[in-house]
Amino acid sequence: MNENSEEARVLVIPCSGIGKVHGLISRECTYKITDELSPDTADTLCLALLVSGDEDALAKVKARPCITIDGCPKLCAQKNVALAGGTVARSVLVVEGFKNRRNAQPGTAATLADEGWEIVGELAGDIACAIPGLCEHERE
Amino acid sequence: MSDEVKVGIISCSGEEIPEGTVSRLATRRVLDSLRPGRTVTLCLPLFLAGDEAEREFARRHPTITVDGCDKLCAKKGTEQYSGPVAASLVVSDLLGGRELCCARSTRASTESDEEAVWIVSEHIAAAVDVALDAEAESPSSGESSCDAGCSCSAPAKGIRLDVGGRTVNVTGLPLIFEHLAKSGLPADESSADKLLETVRIHHEIESAEEDAYKAALLSAYKSFRGCS
Repeated sequence: MNENSEEARVLVIPCSGIGKVHGLISRECTYKITDELSPDTADTLCLALLVSGDEDALAKVKARPCITIDGCPKLCAQKNVALAGGTVARSVLVVEGFKNRRNAQPGTAATLADEGWEIVGELAGDIACAIPGLCEHERE
Repeated sequence: MSDEVKVGIISCSGEEIPEGTVSRLATRRVLDSLRPGRTVTLCLPLFLAGDEAEREFARRHPTITVDGCDKLCAKKGTEQYSGPVAASLVVSDLLGGRELCCARSTRASTESDEEAVWIVSEHIAAAVDVALDAEAESPSSGESSCDAGCSCSAPAKGIRLDVGGRTVNVTGLPLIFEHLAKSGLPADESSADKLLETVRIHHEIESAEEDAYKAALLSAYKSFRGCS
């Protein structure tokens, strides 16, 4: 991968909230995107490292478009990327994946059930579709 | 509400490395299976961003940090805002190379991941026991009550503003003010635009109300900084 394509990478940053299944879904969505769907155009970053003020992490979010995935309305990922000076090109709430799934059984904060993985697949697929456009916009 | 002392566990959950996944899952195993009822978890990004309720919990209760790597985001952040931790565990130190066989995603979890989580969670549980024993021997033991938990389920604190005669609660405003104060934003008229721009990230503001919000935010920020 050359330097230009590295710079064009979108950062996908989940909240990874530890209290509920929604945090795990945000995290697994991220890996689905960075490891399977868009490995050449998406990467992730430790949110805790960013919030703790690490200079390299701050520089990364300022240099690349960011997609945040939050498990709850506190929007830790979205707000902290914005406060760090990053551009939140898209903010996704995990609850969007539950819209058409009343009484969903997605699993727990530690383990996803089949329906949880289905939600991960749907959310990640939707997000991954937006990544080429963001990369193109960034190159321009 | 229980008077029983609980131990806070703060996991780094670092997304970039498998050790972050191990730290997260090991913490959950302690909460759910090994020491249920005696432990709570605190959300690290929210803690570091300035959630006063979580920081107060960490000040008053023994807290154990579980970091994936030697950057020690959890330990350093906790000690910066809430004082010394009862114990600091680092996954890569505890696993002695086993982490090289671990995966970031639980989808790719194997026996190596399960073993790593088991090892780290046993270390956390042992540290919890030590912290509880120390707390039991402390003269102040039993004075503190606990109503803390993961912040995901608790509402963020807000500040009520008078916006053109209308009372508006802006959730998370204390955190925003604290962040801006740390970044050196002065509590005077020159900061009105910056206040509006930052709060707008978190709270919807109609164009027609910008001036009223500027005045209200500036007034609240001055009070927050002790300038009025």
